[in-house]
Amino acid sequence: MKSGAVLRFFVLSLAMLIPAAARAGDVPAIAAASDLQFALTDVAAAFKTATGREVRLAFGSSGNFFRQIGQGAPFQMFLSADEAFVQRLAEAGLTADEGTLYAVGRIAIVVPQGSPLAADGTLDDLAAALEDGRLKKFAIANPEHAPYGARAEEALRHAGLWDAIKDKLVYGENVSQAAQFALSGNAQGGIVAWSLALAPEVAARGAHAPVPETMHMPLRQRMVLLQGAGETARRFHSFMQEDEARAIMRRYGFVLPGETM
Amino acid sequence: MDKGLTVRLHQQAEIPLDVAFSVAPGEAMALVGPSGSGKTTTLRAIAGLYHAAEGRIACNGATWFDSAAGIHLPARQRRAGLVFQSYALFPHLTALANVMEALNDTPRETRREAATALLARVHLDGLEDRRPAQLSGGEQQRVAVARALARRPDVLLLDEPFSAVDRVTRRKLRRELAELRRDLPMPMVLVTHDLDDVTRLADRLCVMHKGRILQSGSVSDVMTRPASAEIAELLDLAADDA
Amino acid sequence: MDWEAFWLTIRLGGLTVLLLIPAAILTGRWLAATRMRGRAIVEAGLALPLVLPPTVVGFYLMIAFGSGAWFGQMFERLFGQTLVFTFEGLLLASLIVNIPFAVQPIQRAFEAVGPELREAAASCGLSRWRTLWRIELPLAWPGILTGTVLTFAHTLGEFGVVLMVGGSIPGETRTIAIAIYDRVQAFDEAAAGQMAAVLLLVSLATIAASYMLTQRIGRRYG
Repeated sequence: MKSGAVLRFFVLSLAMLIPAAARAGDVPAIAAASDLQFALTDVAAAFKTATGREVRLAFGSSGNFFRQIGQGAPFQMFLSADEAFVQRLAEAGLTADEGTLYAVGRIAIVVPQGSPLAADGTLDDLAAALEDGRLKKFAIANPEHAPYGARAEEALRHAGLWDAIKDKLVYGENVSQAAQFALSGNAQGGIVAWSLALAPEVAARGAHAPVPETMHMPLRQRMVLLQGAGETARRFHSFMQEDEARAIMRRYGFVLPGETM
Repeated sequence: MDKGLTVRLHQQAEIPLDVAFSVAPGEAMALVGPSGSGKTTTLRAIAGLYHAAEGRIACNGATWFDSAAGIHLPARQRRAGLVFQSYALFPHLTALANVMEALNDTPRETRREAATALLARVHLDGLEDRRPAQLSGGEQQRVAVARALARRPDVLLLDEPFSAVDRVTRRKLRRELAELRRDLPMPMVLVTHDLDDVTRLADRLCVMHKGRILQSGSVSDVMTRPASAEIAELLDLAADDA
Repeated sequence: MDWEAFWLTIRLGGLTVLLLIPAAILTGRWLAATRMRGRAIVEAGLALPLVLPPTVVGFYLMIAFGSGAWFGQMFERLFGQTLVFTFEGLLLASLIVNIPFAVQPIQRAFEAVGPELREAAASCGLSRWRTLWRIELPLAWPGILTGTVLTFAHTLGEFGVVLMVGGSIPGETRTIAIAIYDRVQAFDEAAAGQMAAVLLLVSLATIAASYMLTQRIGRRYG
């Protein structure tokens, strides 16, 4: 190859790759807690039908998103599973306002098909299974940064099982991964978000039962627009509070602000 | 001696060197000595591939190296044609392209013609498009000679030019080079440990040992009247070697 | 199948190669011939991403890119945007973690060319650039190709560093490896399987193509 040809190839390839890297249009990135994996995907689809606008959803643990947003991640909206994260971002001046409570989450015990464990919300069968050795592995989200993991730990402590089960726990990086671990067949069960357990993709793989709200602190979920949020993000934020979105959220087991179970 | 080559090198560390000689235009000087005697280092210093601590090298009126004046021209700026011991041909280029690379002073349009003529001069007509791997050892050596001549050098340097070929080929190449030499106007320095090379190709002879010149003079003088027993022994060894 | 993630990954790999390989050629060439005293330290530094866990590399990059560090601040002032969790940040991280994959094969290839041909080129009167262009590059070509393929394939597969400095923002930092991870978590094994198969085939095709090319070159100079 002659030097001119190589140079031309180099410049052409660069020209081909660069414009594609540039972002076009107002398609905001939205960070959402993993328990919203299915519910929010449905809401976004309804939002697109209603407004013709699109959003890009990223799911993960609320604690990780909290850290990433603190470091300047270019999200325009954050739906946390724990309102404390939103409040701390607001104190740091990274949000547009104090945020809005959008749901109260529930936790549920899930067991895969063929598990020796029963889907018993009171956790009594879990206690029995720990006694008689039926339980080998049990999945929850990492309590250190995933709110659903922290609530699962509280429920297990409330039932007096924490010390006995600690060595059998596998930790998902977020609640969605915990659900995946719990239902993969490699664990006998897990405690995850009820909203995930209710999703058809998940429900088909096993059984589930909600854990009584009295066994843990409430999961007050708060959403907030971040500094620099554009028009689409604002509209999505309002859409979350409208009837259509609320109906979807209710279907996934969330308790909505101003309502009770 | 303006038009010829003058060399004076001196250093103690690394490789000890203490040499001084000059070669007139059209004259051929052989550097003879056992391995480690500094003869190849001297040759490389002339070519600009080795930087000696002290000394001066001038060729055809130009100063190539002068430690006192802080002059050290890089190899690419010295008009020195060097034939490497292992030829160092560019393996991915044809014989013709190897020679053409060194013709960078020649106008682009006439390079091919000039390279073809050079290859013909070393009897390689018809083999222009072969790559080094497709040539015999003797043919490779001739390409190396043609490439060294392509720069129209002010001095021709040959480092053990026949050491990599068999006896028969060596004799043939030697005869060809002797013929070629008659038409070459520049001084020539030949590093060898083979006395046949010396008698066939050189006018003068320097016997080197441990970086120093023990004796220099016309080939017949040194061969018939070695100045010491040590020199006689070195020349004897060289003869045995061949 | 998340085509957005797929093309983003291809783009990331392509840009990494285009920006890194020319620099790796100059660095590899320099390292192959230098007799500088600190050479071993430079080489060790360049090899570091090879032995460090991606999380360590990711951690330091995250800190350096953040608005708390001078590098992150400088970038923000120059380009008006942050580096963390953006495509540009991902690209920079990809360039850094791929240094050994690009430089080492290229350096080995230049070393194999050897000092004698460089000396022969100098003695033929070739300039440094012409020596590089006409003699060294054609001879080191298989190594450069290997470096290119390794860099590209490694970018396709990089996970840990991408997760730490990129997050998983669709169309921005969600590469195919991350998309597979996300799909598994969303119980969408069909899509995960499809993407894994595509990634496998692309990687296999890339490496096979490079082997075929290298073999052809080997025959040519043999």
